[in-house]
Amino acid sequence: MQALIRRLTESYGPSGSEDQIRDVVRGEIRGLADYVTIDPLGNLIAVVKKKAKSGKKIMLAAHLDEVGFVVSHIDAQGFARVQLFGGVNPLACVGSRVRFADGRLGVIGIEARRDDLTKVPAVNELYIDVGATNAADCPLRLGDAAGFWRPMELAGRRLIAKSLDDRIGVAILIETLRSLKQTPHEVAFVFSVQEEVGTRGAGAAAFGLEADVGLAVDVTRAGDTPNGPRMEVRLGGGPAIKVRDARMIADPRVRELLEQRAREAGLATQREVLEGGSTDAAAMQIARGGMPAGAIAVPTRYIHTPSEMVELGDVQACVALLTRFLQRPIEL
Amino acid sequence: MPFDILAHLKALCAAPGLPGHEAPARDLLRAAWSPLTHWLETDRLGSLCATRQGGGPRPRPRLMLAAHVDTIGMLVTRLDGDFLRMSRLGDVDERTLPGQLVTVHGRHDLPGVIGQPPAYLLPKNGREQVTPLSELVVDTGLPAERLRALVQAGDLVSLAQPARELQNGLLAARGLDNRASVTALTLALSELQSRAHAWDVVAVATVQEEFGLRGAGPAAFALAPDLAIVIDVTFGRDANTRDLAYRTFPLGGGPVLGLGPNIHTGLHSAVKAAAERAEIPYNLEVMWEHSGTDAFGIQVAREGIPTMVISIPVRNMHTPVEIVALADVIRTGRLLAEFAAGLDPGFMGQLALD
Repeated sequence: MQALIRRLTESYGPSGSEDQIRDVVRGEIRGLADYVTIDPLGNLIAVVKKKAKSGKKIMLAAHLDEVGFVVSHIDAQGFARVQLFGGVNPLACVGSRVRFADGRLGVIGIEARRDDLTKVPAVNELYIDVGATNAADCPLRLGDAAGFWRPMELAGRRLIAKSLDDRIGVAILIETLRSLKQTPHEVAFVFSVQEEVGTRGAGAAAFGLEADVGLAVDVTRAGDTPNGPRMEVRLGGGPAIKVRDARMIADPRVRELLEQRAREAGLATQREVLEGGSTDAAAMQIARGGMPAGAIAVPTRYIHTPSEMVELGDVQACVALLTRFLQRPIEL
Repeated sequence: MPFDILAHLKALCAAPGLPGHEAPARDLLRAAWSPLTHWLETDRLGSLCATRQGGGPRPRPRLMLAAHVDTIGMLVTRLDGDFLRMSRLGDVDERTLPGQLVTVHGRHDLPGVIGQPPAYLLPKNGREQVTPLSELVVDTGLPAERLRALVQAGDLVSLAQPARELQNGLLAARGLDNRASVTALTLALSELQSRAHAWDVVAVATVQEEFGLRGAGPAAFALAPDLAIVIDVTFGRDANTRDLAYRTFPLGGGPVLGLGPNIHTGLHSAVKAAAERAEIPYNLEVMWEHSGTDAFGIQVAREGIPTMVISIPVRNMHTPVEIVALADVIRTGRLLAEFAAGLDPGFMGQLALD
């Protein structure tokens, strides 16, 4: 699974520019589903058709896109001024490397003369340097989007990579699709777009699919770092089952069923109560007449920086839990 | 009155029903609404929809009367030794939390109280500030290991202040937002039993209003009503708020009729006319942008639904001692019944944005 995660996290795909990562995922899932479609917004949807009359229609979502930068102005010296999107942490920017769609690398700089050097960098103090010597020489165009660039690294049983939010969810969906030998349900694996700019892809996909139950697979924060977020979730504690985040209350029936399936399989889980941020499930829950929805989250440190960290055991347990959830009856 | 309103309201206020977890209150309502309506269903997110079939010709237009049944509360974020730490489910007024009685819904319900550091132990400037919710504790009396066996992160915490009847027909209770409005719906359904109405009338107890107005939009999508009236609470006037006359309303002054972009002007006029027909006193409230109610989600469901907001004044909103005048609840119920009964089959053809 590590090789898969490497291919996914080292791919390019800021929100709205998901073509490359979508092609990578399409290649990974070739031949695994009954059919594959791309909807009008660009969501990649792989469907395993219903095998039993008692089966339900399940929507799973993991988002393809990553947080990033978009060029808003190029100055006379050839530096690109940018807007940040998707909740990029400005503290993680200075000195970071970014990559554009054509593979071109840039480094993020910050103006040296600032009013208060102790303050968090403001977006208008940051710029991207791609090695241009003047405006005419700069290969960037307005609207070009970039994501962070870092190769994946292994640190003991943990992985460090950019865009684990949410390529780790994408990896879990792909592995689940591979390991799902039989299911009574119709399962739509949705690799969604534009999650980081307001869970926009999944809402449209949920409207189109009209599923009975929805699950997002995404990352959550972990409270096990020095003076970390005030939450119980820790790396290595197993899949985090969502109770509440900033935008949704997970359907308690979905949450309880996930917890029950984990207990049956002897998998440890944790409960996620997240103060900031949300997932595709928030949009799925209120599509059309509503969809019972929940989420499985991978405990993750340093979210929205170039060096996000997860524990492999948690990731594998998410695959095991999701596979079991799909193989068993789903009655809410 | 055909049933004991005070007992119904108090029973509703006592029932837990935090956002997303409304089952206890919904079950109570299902029992109360079942004899008053022709059919009931719970929608996909848990909103209870109870329909009184009208007498008009088919296809009959449909009026949605929506009041949210969820109440604000808290949930456990983590265990801290012998104590619990909390976060909010809805906008609880954290200034009022220290010293409150709560119920922790763990493996089984546990009584608890909310504590904060004694003022004597705080630096002088610390005494003058409100202790943030993240620094309050729930104390159940249990030691850490037994607490951990019974309670985990994500378990719910309800305010547990018992209701108290005040003088002059006033009731103080937790959860009057919005169980007072739900009670008005029960009253309206009850009154419509003895009145002819051409339209189908669907009473909806919506879920998750206090957490981002999430239940009402999907409920409206599924029901596809022709008109919707949302009943919620507004700010009651007291000694501290009487100067804010445009935002606060007297208890006992009758229902408050909303005006603003979230409200269809023609529907507003029709409701006002119904109040005048029935000689029900009312006040007007300008909601200049977002009404802050379920009407915000309902208005833009499907191709758009004309919406109206009727509010019941409540003092001490989002605290465990909200106060309502029973007379306002009764008048709101009567107004809804009067409006519903007065709708003729061709009403939609006459409805204009005047």
